[in-house]
Formats: sequence, C-alpha cells, structure tokens
Amino acid sequence: MFAASGSDAALVTFLIYTAAVFVLAALSNRLLKSKNFVSEYFLGSRGLGVWAFALTFAATSSSGGSFTGFPSKIYTHGWILALWIGSYMVVPICTMGFIGKRLNQVARRSGSITVPDVCRDRFNSPVFGLMAVSLIVFFMSFNLVAQFKAGSLILQTLLEGVTLFESTADGLSQAVSGIPFLSSAESPEYLLCLLVFGIAVILYTTYGGFHAVVWTDVMQGIVMVVGVIIMLPLAISQAGGLDNTTRLMAKMTPPRISAAEKGGITLTLDKPSQETVIIDAGTWITDEPIADQKIPLLFRVTRATEIPAGETTVNEVKVLQLTTLDDIERILGRKERENFLNDVSVSNIDLKAYAYGEEGSQQGTYLVGPGPSASSSSGFLPLSLAISFFFMWAISGTGQPANMVRLMAFRDTKTLQRSICTVAIYYTLIYFPLVVIFCCARVLLPGMEGDSDRIMPAMAVFLTENIGMGWLAGLLVAAPFAAVMSTVDSFLLLISSAWVRDVYQRNINPEASEKTIKLLSYLATFVVGTAAMLVAVNPPKFLQDIIVYVGSGLAASFLAPIVYGLYWRRINAAGAMGAMIGGFAVHLAMYVAGYFVNGSFFKPYQLFDFDPIIIGLFVSFISGYIVTKVTAPPPDELVQKYFYTTKTKA
Amino acid sequence: MSTAPSNDTESMEVDPVFLNAKREAWVILGLWVVALLWSVPYCYLNGFQTGLNPETVETTMGIPSWVFWGIAFPWVVADLFTIWFSLFYMKEDDLGVAHEGEDLAEEIAEMHAKQDATTAGGNES
Repeated sequence: MFAASGSDAALVTFLIYTAAVFVLAALSNRLLKSKNFVSEYFLGSRGLGVWAFALTFAATSSSGGSFTGFPSKIYTHGWILALWIGSYMVVPICTMGFIGKRLNQVARRSGSITVPDVCRDRFNSPVFGLMAVSLIVFFMSFNLVAQFKAGSLILQTLLEGVTLFESTADGLSQAVSGIPFLSSAESPEYLLCLLVFGIAVILYTTYGGFHAVVWTDVMQGIVMVVGVIIMLPLAISQAGGLDNTTRLMAKMTPPRISAAEKGGITLTLDKPSQETVIIDAGTWITDEPIADQKIPLLFRVTRATEIPAGETTVNEVKVLQLTTLDDIERILGRKERENFLNDVSVSNIDLKAYAYGEEGSQQGTYLVGPGPSASSSSGFLPLSLAISFFFMWAISGTGQPANMVRLMAFRDTKTLQRSICTVAIYYTLIYFPLVVIFCCARVLLPGMEGDSDRIMPAMAVFLTENIGMGWLAGLLVAAPFAAVMSTVDSFLLLISSAWVRDVYQRNINPEASEKTIKLLSYLATFVVGTAAMLVAVNPPKFLQDIIVYVGSGLAASFLAPIVYGLYWRRINAAGAMGAMIGGFAVHLAMYVAGYFVNGSFFKPYQLFDFDPIIIGLFVSFISGYIVTKVTAPPPDELVQKYFYTTKTKA
Repeated sequence: MSTAPSNDTESMEVDPVFLNAKREAWVILGLWVVALLWSVPYCYLNGFQTGLNPETVETTMGIPSWVFWGIAFPWVVADLFTIWFSLFYMKEDDLGVAHEGEDLAEEIAEMHAKQDATTAGGNES
C-alpha cells in the first residue's frame, strides 16, 4: 500500500536524476575540446577545486553498499555497527592526507595520468608499469561487473511495484524471449534495470570523461547527504526519541528463522478458497498464543508461496517469527496498515534460533558486542574482526587505485587541505547518523530481517508517508542509487584509461596522434562498459565476496609500493615489484588456503584470526623492504628527479 | 644519505615538499594508531558484555554509553584534529607545474635514439 506512491516518486526522481546527469556530461564534453585530451579525459587536467575534489572522493569511496548493505547490517545486528564503522572517524585524513600531497606532486613532475603511469615513471620501469596495469585490469574488471549488478539490483528494489516499470519489464521479456543470451537473465525486471542503468552510465561516462564523472559525483554526493539529513530527525522523532529507541532495543531478542532447506510453518485456511491464495513475501500471520506462553504468535513470510484453489493447507512456509513482545504489540496495533493474511491457523512450527543472541545470558544483544548473528556462535563482531575492520576502512581505502587517481587530480595544496576537512564533516554527517537511523528502523519496522536489503527504501517510504509527504521518498531512495552510480563511473574510467594510456599509448604506439587517442578513449570506455554490462546479464555468483576480495587485494598489492615510492629514497624497481608481488601473492594464498581448509575460496584462511588484508599488507611492506636492501640502489637521476629540487636563493 | 646524488649537490637540496609530506604522513599514521587504541579497547571493555539488564542500560544522549564514549565522542575529537591538522598544521606547498606528456616524450626520444643507433650500426656492417 505505501509502496505504490513512494515508488512512483522513485520513478520520477530517477528520470529527473538521469536527465541531470546527461546535462552534466554534455557540459564536460565541451571542456574536452580545449585542453590536452588524455589529461582532461582521464584526469580532469589536474584542476579539481575543493567541492569537486572532496565530493568525488567521498562519493567514489561510498559504493552502493553504504546505502544497502550497511543499513541492512545495522538493522540486523544493532548498535555494534557503530564499532564496525568506527574507523571512518579517521578515514578522510588517512585516505587523502597520507599520500595525497606527495602523490600529486610526483604525478605532476613525471606527467603521469594513471596509477600505472606513476609506477612506471617513478621507477623508470616499463615492466613494473605493466605489472600494475595487469593487476588493475584483472581486479577492476571483476569489480565493475559486480557493481553493475549491484546498481541494477538497487534500481530494481526502488522501482518495485511501479506499474509502468512492471509492464515495460514484461514487454522486454517477450521481446528478448528469442535471444538466447538475454533471455537467460535472472528476471525481466533485473534485465530492464541493468540495461537502463548500464546504458545511462556508459553513455555519460564515455561522452564526458573525467569531468562528467566528477560533476555527477558531486550531485550524487549532495543527494546522499541531504537524504541522510532529512531522514535522521524523522526517524528519531517517529521512534519516540533516541533514548526510547535504545531502551526498546535493549529488550529485543532476535527472531526465530526458518532454515533454507527444510522447516518453516504449516498454514491452514479456516475454509477452502475458490481461487488460489497467493501469499507474498512480507505478509504477516498471527495466531493465538501456544497454551503455556504469554507472547502472541506473529510470523512474517520470507518467501512467497500459495495455497491452490480448493485446498486449505500449505506446508513448510518460510517465515520468521518475532520474539519481542513490544514489537509484536506494535505490529498488531497497526493491523489495518499492514498486510495480514486473515482466517488462517498455524501449526508444525519448525524454526531455529540465532546462533548467537537468544540465550538468556546474551540478553540485550542488539545493544552490546559482539552483536547477534544467525550463523556464527561467536557473534557478529568478535574482537579480532573489530581490529581487522579498523585496518580495512582506513588503510585499505588508502590503497585503492580509484582513490589514488583522484589524489592526482586536485589543483593545489590548499584544495587538498580544505577537502580533507570537507570529507571529514561529510562522512560524519553520513555514517554515524546512518547507524542511528537504522537502529530506529528496528523499532519502527520490526520483522524486516528476511528482506533487510530493502530496509532503506522501506524506511524512506514509511517515514515520509507518516508525515504526509510521500513524494520526498523519491529523493531519499535516490541516495543508494547515486552511491552506486558514482562508483561505477569511476571504475569504468579507471579500466579504460588502463587500456588506452597504459597499454596502447605507452607500450604499443607512443607516437599515436591526438586524434587516434581521442577515438580510442571513447571507444575503450564504451567497449569496456558494454562488455561488463553483458557479463552482468548472467553474473557469476558470490558477487559480494568478489567485491571484498578485490578491495582488499588491490590494497595489499598497491599500498606498499606506492608509499615506498613516495617516501623512501632507497627503494628501487625490484623492491617495488617485490612489494607488489608479495602482497598480491600472500593475499591470494590466504584465499586459496581457505579453499582447502574451509572448503570455499571465499572463506579465506585467517592466520592468527586476522583478515587476509592485514597479512597481505604486512608481507607486502616486509618483502618490499628486504628486496630493496639486497639489490642495488636506484639510479641517481631518479632519486634526484623525485626527491630533490633546485635550491631556492636564500 | 647514501643515495644522495653525488653531482650537483651544490645547487640541489632535498625537496621540502617531500619532507613536509613525510612528516605529515607520520602524524596521520600516529592519529590512526591513537584512534585504534582508543576505540577498540574501550568498546571491548565496556561494550562487550553478557547478561545485560534491560532496565539499567546506561545511555548518554540516548546512545548506549559505550558507543558514545568509544565511538561518537572520539569521532568528534578526530574531526576537530583533522580540521586543525589540515588547515593549520599541513604546509601549503607548491606542487609544481604538470609536465604533461613529458614521460611519453622522453620515451619516444629514447626509442628514436635506439632506432638510430641500430640503423647506424647496420650501415657500418
């Protein structure tokens, strides 16, 4: 019921938003005519000012996960997410300040445009440059496919229930039914979203280059922060104040859930129906309490099912059961507004408890560490993981090539200084408030665990409908979409710059004319984007795991060589390669070991309980140091070029 | 400095931008360590507990107290430090002009030099 008007608003917002993106791309394209093409197309002519630089940096780092996965985690595990995200208090200063100034200077001095360019020029080593470009293309291509999928899923979530969208999707599925590749997509809705999202991103990125990406990032960044700032007071006031929220959360106990393969509940209709009874996911079901218990029974369907016409019973319905009295009373108290299946009784309840969080000694689990967990008996965030996440965000963020490219694009030191402040304030306004908002969501919208990825749009619609401003939901749900779009466009440009600049211009044909390079840049961006989009039609499984693997793998490979290259005069090409190979190999080895020890590549082996990123970084820095020490010092000219300057007259 | 260039030391000096950036990087690393040592142990000691009594939950401004003192408060402190550091501590250095295309030009020149050398060598034999 509420979903409908909120989603229509989402469609309108999406259309306005897309139109704005194309206007920005057209403006950017005009800039391409006047300047050095490669530098402008891939690096914005190193002229980014405070707002552009700060917001493109912030928006690129916060991918779709910030507005889907993160809210879903807060909702599912409670206040412990404050510690999980805690290191964001130092993320801006670490990721921008640690290497920003020096990387920008070195890139200017050599004329480098891409990260592999920096690697190659700083050590005057084409081999090292090629190694860097291979790793970037390898890692980022996986990531691009994953982000395309994520973007389509978010768009699909937002547009669910819009009539025009559903009918277009049906039309599309008929249109492609004869085409073997396209018709095998997950669902027509997914395919439609992928095509719309993919084509929009590919076109504006191809046409406008770096400045288009940056300007759309600025717009996307503003949408994100405005969304959060509007939601925060609404969420707190509707939940009855923050103190009330926390006290209610202290009494919450995790739901009972059905196992994926077997179990659930049996539903019996009071009398058989003439038509098939369709039971959607999200439907509530209630029944009289079991004899010796005071708490009323309240279930929510997590997987859609149906009762055929003329029959009365369906077995093994997948549900979750609420166990907190306050939550149950709140839902029963607004029965008219919620979707209930009436005249039905429940039997054969076969549900399981959370692995951590339900026992009496674990009372108040939504308020304290390690937080409830459905699958792990040591809870959501044990100490070793909390430490790993402190590394993960601050240190591995510094090692991301997509962030490094941005550090090469700001105009001057003043811009960097002000941008660090801007991003610090920006992240403070986004990440901590998100924790508060989605803790409130536990009180306002109980029983969303089965579909917690939709908690952001669900909250947006709920909060705005309550104050009679449903149209506002459109703006709020645009935030996750903006977040993923701003990540995809940056990754796309990063890969195409690798092909054009690092592979073609620097290795195959250095003397290519400006016209050829221009044509190739447009072509490469378009082809890379289209290829990624086509792969995403039937995406490989484990995408979320791939994103994690890629993020930490890039940091383990790139952070040490870049930091050494910027700050250590003695480092030579061999040492830098040693650091890169060492980090990459050990990080990969942890995942391969996971395959043998834990039975899956994506359950990496955790040496001393630490995430592979920590071990990878450690080995990378050590191996870089050792290899450098046992090999000859770098040539004087290189040291002189990057570490010395002509004496200024006193 | 064992790797300092031997020639021309008279007219060259260690790049002040490099020195400033390096010093700033050490301070930032220190800040990260302080943040880690404040947040994680504090939260672990005060926020990881069993047998919580829901009636006696300690809150500060509506937030569980361990979150407030372990995350929210240091977050504000980190922000203040970040602002002070970037506006007042970081040196406003001149990053120099961009040598657009220079890396490529050098390589093209080298490539031609090599080609010339090989053609010259070929002529001699």
